[in-house]
Amino acid sequence: MKIELTAVEKYYNRGAPNQVHALRTVDLSITSNETVCIHGPSGSGKSTLLAILGGIIGPTSGSAVVDGRKLARLPDRFLTLYRQQHIGFIFQRFRLIPELSVVENVTLPLLPLGIRPAERKRRGWDLLKRLEIGHRGDFLAAEISGGELQRAAVARALINDPSIIVADEPTAHLDTRLSEDFLSIMAELKDLGKTIIIASHDPLVSGNPIVDRCLYLRDGRLTAVPGPQ
Amino acid sequence: MAARYLDRQLNIADYALGGLTRRLGKNLVVVLVFALVIFMVASFSMTTTSLKHAASQLLTTVPDITVQKMSAGRQVGFSTEAIKELEFIFGIRSVQPRVWGYYFDENNGANYTVIGVTELGDKTQLAGLGIDFLPNLKTDAAFEPAVIGRGVRENLGLGNRRAFSLFRPDLSLKSFVTSATFDAETSMVTDDLIIMDLKAARDLFGLQADEITDLLVDVANPLEIDNIADNIGERLKGVRVVTRERIGKTYRVAFGWRSGFGLACLFGAVAAFFIFAWDKASGLTPAQQQEIAILKVLGWQTEDIITLRFWESVIISISAFGLGYLAAWIHLLFFNGLLFRPVLLGWSVVKPPLSLVPVFSFADLLIIFSLSVLPYLAATVIPAWHSATIRPDSVI
Ligand SMILES: Nc1ncnc2c1ncn2[C@@H]1O[C@H](COP(=O)(O)OP(=O)(O)O)[C@@H](O)[C@H]1O
Ligand SMILES: [Mg+2]
Repeated sequence: MKIELTAVEKYYNRGAPNQVHALRTVDLSITSNETVCIHGPSGSGKSTLLAILGGIIGPTSGSAVVDGRKLARLPDRFLTLYRQQHIGFIFQRFRLIPELSVVENVTLPLLPLGIRPAERKRRGWDLLKRLEIGHRGDFLAAEISGGELQRAAVARALINDPSIIVADEPTAHLDTRLSEDFLSIMAELKDLGKTIIIASHDPLVSGNPIVDRCLYLRDGRLTAVPGPQ
Repeated sequence: MAARYLDRQLNIADYALGGLTRRLGKNLVVVLVFALVIFMVASFSMTTTSLKHAASQLLTTVPDITVQKMSAGRQVGFSTEAIKELEFIFGIRSVQPRVWGYYFDENNGANYTVIGVTELGDKTQLAGLGIDFLPNLKTDAAFEPAVIGRGVRENLGLGNRRAFSLFRPDLSLKSFVTSATFDAETSMVTDDLIIMDLKAARDLFGLQADEITDLLVDVANPLEIDNIADNIGERLKGVRVVTRERIGKTYRVAFGWRSGFGLACLFGAVAAFFIFAWDKASGLTPAQQQEIAILKVLGWQTEDIITLRFWESVIISISAFGLGYLAAWIHLLFFNGLLFRPVLLGWSVVKPPLSLVPVFSFADLLIIFSLSVLPYLAATVIPAWHSATIRPDSVI
């Protein structure tokens, strides 16, 4: 899966007094099985960039092409199909539904795919066991710890077997040990051939050997920085 | 493809059910309020249907023409002499005298309907009661024989005894012996009924030797009923001549405006509920909005979210419908339409009184279903359209 952004601009509330120019002429090319870290202070546009790469929003102008398919100006319906098939999204604040059990949360993406309950459960439990939180599957999301929430969020992102993993500041709410656990999971996924894009200003992430390339965002502009640190 | 579509629907319906049980308290209130509305509408409609049915049943047993004497606007007794006047009217098949009165049992605070008849071989005399069988009144010579309703038997506390007494107007006692009891199957009319010989009824009420309260006229040709009724009115001064058609009209008029009035009141309740439902469906809590945005990021289409709302509404409205309709049926079956009968039918308005035999009407069920479940779906799914378009990036 090759991702190409060319001259991408993103405005929020364009033309209104509260207009925000969140991304400015962003050019970016990510090859298959590459792990890219997007570095930048808060408000620099990291989440916005990830949302465009993850097919959650479209750019205001410019082109976004994934595997030869144009994402820009694609109707919502097709963006959603793109997410279903290719994207595993890990939210900054995990965003599990607190009153659902962990395994129910993890299998949510499978419901609109028409996958039957037995098969859903099997896949959910398999994944939870692989991520070593099988013992928490029946707990409510509200009842588990931060590290467990992170693993559940990863499991949910992987349930539809996506080729691209997008993670928004995944270690911001984790201590060092849990952050390292997370990165070792990412390393396994990299070995499986996934493309991984992580937004983070955590040096633990940008300095990690799995990261092939680090990019720097400032005020919506993307620049390459010469390697970690 | 079709199988996958079905599986998707089932998955989302399953998720909807889960969501409803997670917020059980809140949703139960909605279901109960909705069920109450459906209960009222269904009860009202069932009671109306049953009353209409009872009225039409009753009309088939009403005599062609009933003749009563009026004085100062009230019904009074009159002499059997009147029968002779009617003998000359061509087209009358038979004329039967009857004493019809009410007896107030002070000891038990109960009211009984007393009917005195002459011949036992003629059903005309029992017309208007919906009674098919003819009791034998002449079994026991020592006491005056009577056929009584179950309610009378219970009020008098007879148990297995057969003899009982009633007071004449001068407070002397008149004794009876029961020759039969109307069984439970017969209508409510027979419950408070005492049928006795015409002479015994006169004695009990202190009437003159030839005094009666009604004449029941049977006409050979139905087309002639109105003419003959006019004719009777001319020959007998100061009488009220009531045809079967007139009684039917009284029922229809009474039902007409009463059920219209009732429906108008209920319509208010129904409309209020749907506005409430619409309002509730339009405003989502931040938690609900966040849930929708998360689901969308995870690959749920806008139509999947609407489908989710649709199944929630289906589950809520079907359970409310089932609950409300069942309650209405129980209300009619075991409580005789207690709540709505007075609205539909003041007891004083229609005589003879109607009893309620529950009548199941599939058409009614269908109408109530489509007037409750369908508008609820509309009132909740249409606003869901708007909320389903929440942008997924609101949770990033
Ligand atoms: N939905 C939105 N509507 C309006 N402005 C937004 C929205 N999302 C982000 N922004 C603005 O766009 C800019 C970039 O935000 P974001 O992409 O979240 O940056 P980061 O993730 O690096 O903190 C910020 O100024 C932010 O306030
Ligand atoms: Mg962010």
